[in-house]
Amino acid sequence: MTNPNQQGYTPYHNNFLKEVEQNVEDGTWVKMCMQCGVCAGSCPLGNAWEHTPQKIFMMIRAGKREEVLKSDSMWMCTSCYNCIARCPRKLPITHIMHGLAHYAHRLGLAPKGQPTREIAKLFWKNLVKTGRANELKFSLAMYFKDGFKQGIKNALGMQKVGIGLIKAKRLNPMEIFGGHKCKDKSGFQKMIAKAQEIENSKKTHIA
Amino acid sequence: MTAIIATNQTILVVGGGISGMTAALEAAECGKQVILVERNSSLGGRTALLYRYFPKMCHPTCGLEINLRRLKANRNLRILTQTEVTSVTGQRGDYTVSLKISPRYVNSNCTACGECAKVVKKEIPNPYEYNLSRTRAAYLPHAMAYPQHYVLDPSIIGTPDADNAKAACKYNAIDLDMQVETIELKVGAVVWATGWKPYEAAKIQPYGYDRFDNVITSLEFERYADPHGPTGGKLLRPSDGKEAKNIAFIQCAGSRDQNHLHHCSRICCMASLKQTQYVREAYGEQGKSTVYYIDIRSIDRLEDFYRKVQQDSTVNFVKSKVAQIKLDEKTGDLILHGVDTEGYHRYATQHDLVVLAVGMEPESNGIKLPADLITDSSGFIEGSADLGQIAAGAASSPLDVNRATQSATAAALRAIQVVYKTSAIEEAR
Amino acid sequence: MAEMKTAAYICSGCGLGDQLDIAQLSKIAQKEGKMALVRNHEFLCNPEGVQIIRDDIEKEAVTHICIAACSRRAKTEAFNFPEVAMSRANLREGVIWIIAQGNEHDEVRQEMANDYVRMGCAEIKKMKLPQGNPNHANNKRILVVGGGVTGLTAALAAAETGYEVVLVEKNNQLGGWAAKMWKRVPFKQPYAEPQETGLVELVAKVSSHSRITVYLNSTVAETSGAPGRFNIKVAQESGSVTTEEVGAIVQASGFSSYDINKLPELGGGKSTNVVDQAGLEALACKAMDTPLKRADGKEIKSVVFIQCAGQRNEANPDHLPYCSGHCCATSVKQAMYFKNANPDVNTVVLYTDLRMPGMGEDFYRSAQDKGVIFTKGKASRVDTAGDACKVVFRDLILDEDAVIDAELVVLATGQVPNAGVDLEAWNPLVTAAESGSEEGKQKKVEMQKISVLNLNYRQGPDVPQLKHGFNDSHFICFPYETRRTGIYAAGSVRRPMDMLQATEDATGAALKAIQAVENASIGRAAHPRSGDLSFPSVRLEGCTQCKRCTVECPFGAIDEDEKRFPVFNESRCRRCGTCMGACPVRVISFENYSVDTVGNQIKAVDMPDEFSERPRILILACENDAYPALDMAGLQHHVYSAFVRAIPVRCLGSVNTIWITDALNSGFDGVMMMGCKHGENYQCHFVKGSELANYRMSKIDDTLKQLGLETERVATYEVAITDNARVAKLINEYAAKINEIGMSPMKGFN
Repeated sequence: MTNPNQQGYTPYHNNFLKEVEQNVEDGTWVKMCMQCGVCAGSCPLGNAWEHTPQKIFMMIRAGKREEVLKSDSMWMCTSCYNCIARCPRKLPITHIMHGLAHYAHRLGLAPKGQPTREIAKLFWKNLVKTGRANELKFSLAMYFKDGFKQGIKNALGMQKVGIGLIKAKRLNPMEIFGGHKCKDKSGFQKMIAKAQEIENSKKTHIA
Repeated sequence: MTAIIATNQTILVVGGGISGMTAALEAAECGKQVILVERNSSLGGRTALLYRYFPKMCHPTCGLEINLRRLKANRNLRILTQTEVTSVTGQRGDYTVSLKISPRYVNSNCTACGECAKVVKKEIPNPYEYNLSRTRAAYLPHAMAYPQHYVLDPSIIGTPDADNAKAACKYNAIDLDMQVETIELKVGAVVWATGWKPYEAAKIQPYGYDRFDNVITSLEFERYADPHGPTGGKLLRPSDGKEAKNIAFIQCAGSRDQNHLHHCSRICCMASLKQTQYVREAYGEQGKSTVYYIDIRSIDRLEDFYRKVQQDSTVNFVKSKVAQIKLDEKTGDLILHGVDTEGYHRYATQHDLVVLAVGMEPESNGIKLPADLITDSSGFIEGSADLGQIAAGAASSPLDVNRATQSATAAALRAIQVVYKTSAIEEAR
Repeated sequence: MAEMKTAAYICSGCGLGDQLDIAQLSKIAQKEGKMALVRNHEFLCNPEGVQIIRDDIEKEAVTHICIAACSRRAKTEAFNFPEVAMSRANLREGVIWIIAQGNEHDEVRQEMANDYVRMGCAEIKKMKLPQGNPNHANNKRILVVGGGVTGLTAALAAAETGYEVVLVEKNNQLGGWAAKMWKRVPFKQPYAEPQETGLVELVAKVSSHSRITVYLNSTVAETSGAPGRFNIKVAQESGSVTTEEVGAIVQASGFSSYDINKLPELGGGKSTNVVDQAGLEALACKAMDTPLKRADGKEIKSVVFIQCAGQRNEANPDHLPYCSGHCCATSVKQAMYFKNANPDVNTVVLYTDLRMPGMGEDFYRSAQDKGVIFTKGKASRVDTAGDACKVVFRDLILDEDAVIDAELVVLATGQVPNAGVDLEAWNPLVTAAESGSEEGKQKKVEMQKISVLNLNYRQGPDVPQLKHGFNDSHFICFPYETRRTGIYAAGSVRRPMDMLQATEDATGAALKAIQAVENASIGRAAHPRSGDLSFPSVRLEGCTQCKRCTVECPFGAIDEDEKRFPVFNESRCRRCGTCMGACPVRVISFENYSVDTVGNQIKAVDMPDEFSERPRILILACENDAYPALDMAGLQHHVYSAFVRAIPVRCLGSVNTIWITDALNSGFDGVMMMGCKHGENYQCHFVKGSELANYRMSKIDDTLKQLGLETERVATYEVAITDNARVAKLINEYAAKINEIGMSPMKGFN
C-alpha cells in the first residue's frame, strides 16, 4: 500500500491509536467505540462532517493518521454534548473531537483557513493581549479575516445588528481604542505562558 | 385452604413462568415434592403473552398446554398463585420460607362459567394485555389461564360490583372475605425462576416512548400481532388505528448501553427478526420492515432464521443505532434520524410505527431478595453461596425460551442434589 | 381387576341444566349407554359431587366412569380418580358454549349433547385402566458417552444425585477440548479476564468419585435394550469388551473442530502461521501467560483473528451454514492472552457481527479496554508467503479494501458435531443391503464405523439428527425432547455451544436421564404424555409383518424379530399411537386408547336419515393443539355448527383409516381431521404424526371413490392451539361445503 496517509504506519496496527492515546485529550477512549453510530446521527451539524465521530475512531484504529489529523470534521463540533449524552459506551466524544483538533493544530496539520480554527486563533490572540475579550475588535477581526474588501462587505452586511447592539448598550464603539484590560495583565500572561509550558511538557511531539 | 405439607425434602420454585414450570415439573417428574409459587393469578408468565416463538414461529401456548397437562397429571406438585415469597431464612437443606398469599376473592369452586363477569360493570386496564385494552374487573386472565378460575380485582371489593358478582355465582365460588394470608414452610432447596421484565422504555429519552403514541415496545407488538390481542391480530398503530405497514425495529433499546442496561439482552435480535415476519404474515409484499441494529446476534442454528429474513425482500437492515425519533405532526408518522455506519450514510426515514426491542431486566430488580442470594451487576441472580438456592431461566441471565428451559432443567437437578444430600446426611446419622 | 361396573355422572351446572334436558341425557346413558349407574348432580365438581363419585367407586365397586360435564381439560383436580377408567363427555365447551342461545337451537343442542353422552359411554366400555408396563426394568445406572466438559459435568451431576454412572471416553484421558485450553471465557462476575478452566479439579472429582466408573480408550460397541434395561458393550482399545447394564444414556460425544485445510483461501493448512482457535490454545498453553510464540519460535507481535471462518456461509456447501456461538467470545479471550502478556502486540479481531450476548458485553468492553482492535470486515484472502501473513479484507465501516500484516492469523472455525451416523443416509443403505446389494452392505459397514452409540435399533445405530448434523431437539419449550427415549444428547453434539452452556446442558441432560430411569422403573411414559401408564400391546397372531409400525414409529421403539414380527420396547415408547394408526390389520392397541375406544364412539353417534337435513361431521382432533383450540373456541363462545362431533386423539398419527371408513359407512357426511403443523417447522409433538396422517389421507381418495363418495368428505387441517376463532370458522365453512355437496348416500345402510 502506498497511501501517503499511512507512511511509516502499518494499517490497523496500534501506532496511531497509541499516538492519539498519548497526545489527545481523552484519547484513551477511542478504542472503546463499538461503531453504533449514535454520535454521528445525534450531531446537529452532522451534515457538515466529512467523517463522523464514530468513523474517525475507526480511522484512528485503522492508522489513517494524516487523513484524520488533516480532516476538518472534528472542527465542526459545537460542543452540544448530544453525542456524549447518548453514547452507549460513554465516550467523551465532544472532548475527543476538541482534543483531536487541538492536536492537529499543534502539529500544524489542521486544515488552513478552516473557519472554526480561524475563529479560535483570532479569539485567542484577542484574549491573551489584555486578559479580556474585546468583542468589537474580535468582530472586526472576523470580518476582515479574508481581506479588506470582504471585510467591508461583511461589516456592511452586519451593520444593522451592530447598530442595534450599540443602541442596546451591548457593544461599546469606544472599545476600538484599547478597551478593558484585566487588572494584572503581566501576571495573566505569565500564567498563560506557564500553562503552555506544562502542556508542552506533557505531550511529546511525535511526527 | 388445605394444609400444605412441606419438609426439608421439598423444593420451592419461585415463579410460574416457563422456567419455573419447567423446573417444578422436571423435579416433580423425578419423584420430588415441589411447591410452585406464582405472584400473578395464572401460570405462564411472559411467554403466555407472546404470539409466536422464534425460529419455528410456533405458539407458546402449545408448550404451555403440554406443561399444564403434565402438571395436572402430577401429584408431587402443589401450585400457589397470587403468592409471593416474603422471606427465606436458614440454609441449604433447611430453609424456612414465608409466603404471602393475596386474596383472589374466588375459590376453587369456580367453574369458569363466566356469570360473574357479566354483572360486574367496572373495567380495569387488562394486566394480561400490558394494559393495552380493558377488561371487566371480574376476569379470567386469559384463555389458557391456570388455575382456570376467575379473579376479582381488589378495587371492586366493598362496592356493589363485588356483591353483584357474588350474587351471580351459583357455585359459592366468590368469597369477598378473603384476606391476605401468610404461611411458613420448611423447604430444602429454593429455585428462583422470577424471570425478567422489559426495560422501562420511557427512560430512553430520544426515542420518545412516553411522547409518541406510535412508538411501542416489542412486547406490546406481540399483543398487537396476536389474534387474541387487543386489535384482534391486526397491526394497527395506536395513534389513529391505521394499519401500520412500514415498521421500524430498533435494536438494543436499553441494552448494551452504559446509560441503561450494560448487558446484551440476547433475545431482542431474534425477537425483531421474528416480528418482521408478523409484518409479512399480515401484508405480504405490501409490508415493510426495517431493522436498525449494531450487531445481529442470531447465535447457532438461529442463523438460519436470520438468513431467511435477510432474503425476505420486505425486510431491510441498517447497521445503526438510531439517534433520535421525531414526530411528523401531520401524518403521525415517525422520522428516524441516524447514520448507517457501514460506509456512512445519513438517513431521515419515515415509518408508520416504531417498535423498540426493549432489553431484559431481572424481574427481581426492585424486590428484596434474601441476603445470601448473590446477584451480578445487572441484578441477575447467581444463587446462594452454599448452592441451596439456585437461579433458573431469565432470572439468572438474559435467556431465550429454549435456553431458559435448559437452565431450568439444570436448576431442577441442582435442587434435587440439595435435598438428596440432605437426606443422605440424615440417613448417615 | 374386578369386574367392570360402569357409571355415568351428568352435571347440570354451568348452565347445562338450563339449556339441556338432563333427564333425557340420563335416559340415554342408561338405555343406550347401558351404564349400570347413572347419577345427576347440579354441581358435580364441588366436594359433594366428587364425594358421590368417590363413594360409588368405594362402595359400589364402580370401575368405569363417564363424566358428562365440562371438557376433559377442565376441573382436572376435582375429577381425579386414578383408580378407575374415565371418559369425559364434553357438554359445556363442546356443546352449550358453541351453540347459539335461544330456543330455536334447542333441538340440535340436545342432539349434540345426547351424542356426546352416547360417545362417552361407548368409549368407557372399551377402556381399561392402564396397569403400567409389566416389562418395566429397574436399572438406574446412567451411561455417559464422552469425557469432555459436558460428559464430565453430566457424570458428576448424576453421581452427586445418588446415581451410579458409567463414563466411556475414547481417548486416553478425560477432559476433551477443555483440557487443551489455557483459560476459559469468564462465566461469573467480573466478566473481565480469562479464567482458569477448573478442568483439573473436575477430572479429579470424576476420577475419584465412588459412584463413577470410567473407561478410557473405549467406545460403545453396541447398545441394545430400552430405558431401564440398556445393555452396553464397551470396547476397549486392548480389544477386550465389557458389558455394562444401564438405565439411560447421556450422549456427550462433543464436536470436532472444522478442518482448517478446507480454508486454503484464508491460509488454512498453508502455513503454521495460520492456526485455528485450538491451535492458538496450544500456543497459549506453551506460553503460560508470557508473550505467545509461533511454531517457529518467533514472538508474535501482531495477530489477526478472522471470525466466522468457514461458518455462517451457505453459499459454499463445504462450509458450515450455522454460527458456532462461542467463537466471538473465544477470540476475545484469546486476544487477551496477547494483550495481557504484552500490551504492545497488535491485536485485531475481524468480525461481521460480534456475538457476545448477556454479560459477554462486559468481556467485549474489557478487551477493547486492553487495546484489542475490533473491525467490522470480511476477509477474502490471507497471503502466507512472507514472514508476516497479509490479511486482505473489506473494511465494512470505512467501506474500502484493506490489508493487515500479521505474524499470526487465527481462524475462528466452527464446531462440527460428532453425532454418529446420519439416519437419513443410513436407511437407504439398509434397504439396499436387505435387497442383497453387496455395495450397500459394504457402505453400511463403512458408515457404521462413525457410529457413537451403535444402537441395534431397527431404525438405525444413532440418534436422529435434526439439522446440520446435530442431535438436537426440535422444540423450543422442550430442549430435551429426544427422538430416542432415555437417550439424551448434551453439549456441542446437540447444538453448537460454549462451555457455560455445555455445563448447563449436561446438568439438564443428567436430570432427564434420571427421570428416564425413574419412569422406566414404574413403567410410566416420558414426556409429553408423562405419567401415562398405558402401553402398546400387539396381537401378534393377526400381524402380517408389514413393518409399517417399525418403520413409522417416531421414536424407534419397535424392533423386528427374526421372523420380522414387531418387538415392542415399551419403555422406549412415548404412547403417541402412531403404530396403532399405521397398522392395516389393527392389532395394536393401548388399554385406554384403541381402535375400539374411538371406533365405538363413532358408531355410537345417532345418525339422522338422509332427508333430515341434519348432516353429521366427525372431527378427529389432536389432543395437544386442535382439541384445546376447540375448547377455547367454546370458552370464548365462538359459535360453530351443531352437526359436528369431536373426538380427541393422541396424535393425528394415531388415526387409523378404519375410523374414517367406519364413519363414512355409518353415514357421517364428512370427516375433519385436525392436526399440528407439519413440514420443516413441524409442531407435532410426536414428530411425524400429522405428516403421516396427511400422507395416509392423501391415499384415502380411492377408498372414497369406491364408496361412491366425494373426496371432499374427508379433509385434513393444520390447526394451531391459538386458532380458537379460526377453528370455528373452519367448521362452519366445512359444514357449508357439506351442505353444498349434499348428504351422504351411505346413510341408512348401517
